[in-house]
Amino acid sequence: MTFLGALRVVTLAAAGFCLAALMALVFRTSAFGRRKYFSEPRGYAGHGLVYAFGKGMLDKESVSRHRLTMLGGALYHLAIFAGLGYVLWLALPVRPAPPVWAFRPVLLVGAVVGLSLLTKRVAKPHLRRLSCPDDFFANLFVDVFIVLAFLHTYVPALETALMAVTILLFLYIPLGKIRHCFFFFFSRIVFALHFGRRGALPGSALKV
Amino acid sequence: MANATAARDPYGDKLDSLTDADIARILAELRRRLKAPEIAAAHTCIRCGLCADACHYYLTNGDLEDIPAYKLNLVLGVIKYHFTPGGRRAGGWVGARRLDKAMVRDWVDALFGRCSGCGRCTMNCTSGIEIHGLIRAARGALAAAGLVPPELQSTVMTAVEQGNNMGIPRDEWLETVDWIQDELRAETGDPGARIPVDEKGARLLYTVNPREPKFFPLSLLAAAKMFYAAGESWTFSSDRYDVTNYGLYSGDDAHAGLLSDRLVRAREDLGAEVLVLGECGHGFASNRWEAPQWLNKRFGFPVKSVLEVAAGYLREGRILLDPSKNKKPLTLHDPCNLVRLGGVVEEQRYLLKNAVEDFREMSPNRQKNYCCGGGGGQLAMTRFAKRRLSAGRLKADQIRKTGAKIVVAPCHNCIDQLIELNKEYKLGTEVKTVIEIVADAIVLPRRSPDPGS
Repeated sequence: MTFLGALRVVTLAAAGFCLAALMALVFRTSAFGRRKYFSEPRGYAGHGLVYAFGKGMLDKESVSRHRLTMLGGALYHLAIFAGLGYVLWLALPVRPAPPVWAFRPVLLVGAVVGLSLLTKRVAKPHLRRLSCPDDFFANLFVDVFIVLAFLHTYVPALETALMAVTILLFLYIPLGKIRHCFFFFFSRIVFALHFGRRGALPGSALKV
Repeated sequence: MANATAARDPYGDKLDSLTDADIARILAELRRRLKAPEIAAAHTCIRCGLCADACHYYLTNGDLEDIPAYKLNLVLGVIKYHFTPGGRRAGGWVGARRLDKAMVRDWVDALFGRCSGCGRCTMNCTSGIEIHGLIRAARGALAAAGLVPPELQSTVMTAVEQGNNMGIPRDEWLETVDWIQDELRAETGDPGARIPVDEKGARLLYTVNPREPKFFPLSLLAAAKMFYAAGESWTFSSDRYDVTNYGLYSGDDAHAGLLSDRLVRAREDLGAEVLVLGECGHGFASNRWEAPQWLNKRFGFPVKSVLEVAAGYLREGRILLDPSKNKKPLTLHDPCNLVRLGGVVEEQRYLLKNAVEDFREMSPNRQKNYCCGGGGGQLAMTRFAKRRLSAGRLKADQIRKTGAKIVVAPCHNCIDQLIELNKEYKLGTEVKTVIEIVADAIVLPRRSPDPGS
């Protein structure tokens, strides 16, 4: 097996480790126990889910007052997942080769946005003081990954570096803040169930 | 504590002399309250800071310590350090922080002194983390070590020891009810009109904020007039009528459960079908949503806000309203615990739109409304009064923009804060409850006097 071939196998193994570690984290978190609700519902948890993953994603001041940041965040996450998909495509390896023309704009925009978000975190005093080292590091690490993935679409010789960074990224995901990619859904569902059953979410209040 | 009283106080001394055993008690109680959602929150918050603009403290003061993510991460940092795998090892790298004396001081200042538990940050969190719930959990952990600010704790203890949070003696309560009954008779012209007390088998048990008999007895008259007009079968309890529950604010589930259990038992003893909660935001959230959790049981009987009951009367034609009796422009404040956290959103609007000629919504309103600043025990915690009034500026601005002459709030905590804001920001408005406005608009039915009276 070539060195690159070995790296590809290790990349896939790191992805497996990442998934397993995140699942273990979810399991450990779940072991703390679920909330039991004894109060009679006034609304529907289902409405809560529809709201939380639908209108509720946008219907808030954290979006309306920060449209650029939210748009940037969305594009950043799109680029991260695109980058991971791109690397896994290379590592498997799936034929035909990934359509680089489709990945390039997503990765380029993601890289620009990622670095912008990092700059914002560094430049804004309150945001900087709110942050822990992991906030800066994780952002920078992911930016490096996206930039490398983007460059690889032009320079295939960078694959070794891309695979190496991806392996480290997969190993780091369960350890730092990037784990929020899993727990976001967990927290959002809890929010939906809690407020949905109260009929307290916008648009879900009982009609008089 | 920048705004806390400058002179040393026993509470400050207590915070200075915390022992390891105190810290252990706080951590044990915090651990007891942690379920999967709270742990998940520690893995979810990315400190994006976008919650800042949701908080009335931050919007009026602009301090880092007012940002909900800052307050949240004081709690999450401790959770990470003490209760998550790797949190202690990774330490400051991931924002994990050991609970020590300094951290307890930070908790007290931020969680009691910079949060009214309004939940607006929760609604605006990009991930939906229940920020206000975690803050309450941490308050409860402080309560386990006796570290609730004494002004708030004394309100809880007055209710626990004397049956209501104002310490109103039973005789005084009954005299007030008797006096209001005379007023009801005068207003209705019906000498048989009654305010029942301890009447077994009445359909509704009605509970009120003790501030009503103490300072706002006409609120009692308004409710009595509405029940009279609707021909309702209802009663007060002579000793268990306090709808408030400051245990919600102190975070102390044991006392909170004890207070709510009194109302549950009063309903049982009197055989009422429905427990009706007077106009009190946190009283509603406590007794409608939290009490079953505190008492670890399903109630099996309806618990309703008086607004739901009143809206039902209007819908069913049991009361008639004449909006021409309320001509002044009026706006509505949405109490956080009743609306954003409670789900009672449209009933008050339905009532007011039928009871007044000129109803004006604030902007934003409903679930997005700003907290008035009076919740979370802030009215009791006088050491933070300056911050409370400053944080209320947003609400004052909202009111002023409507041009309303009357502000209505279905919550006596909010009313107290609104009265203070009225003075502080020279709003020139009257402050009333929804049922007072409804009562003013009621067209009384013609009833033949009760021959037995």
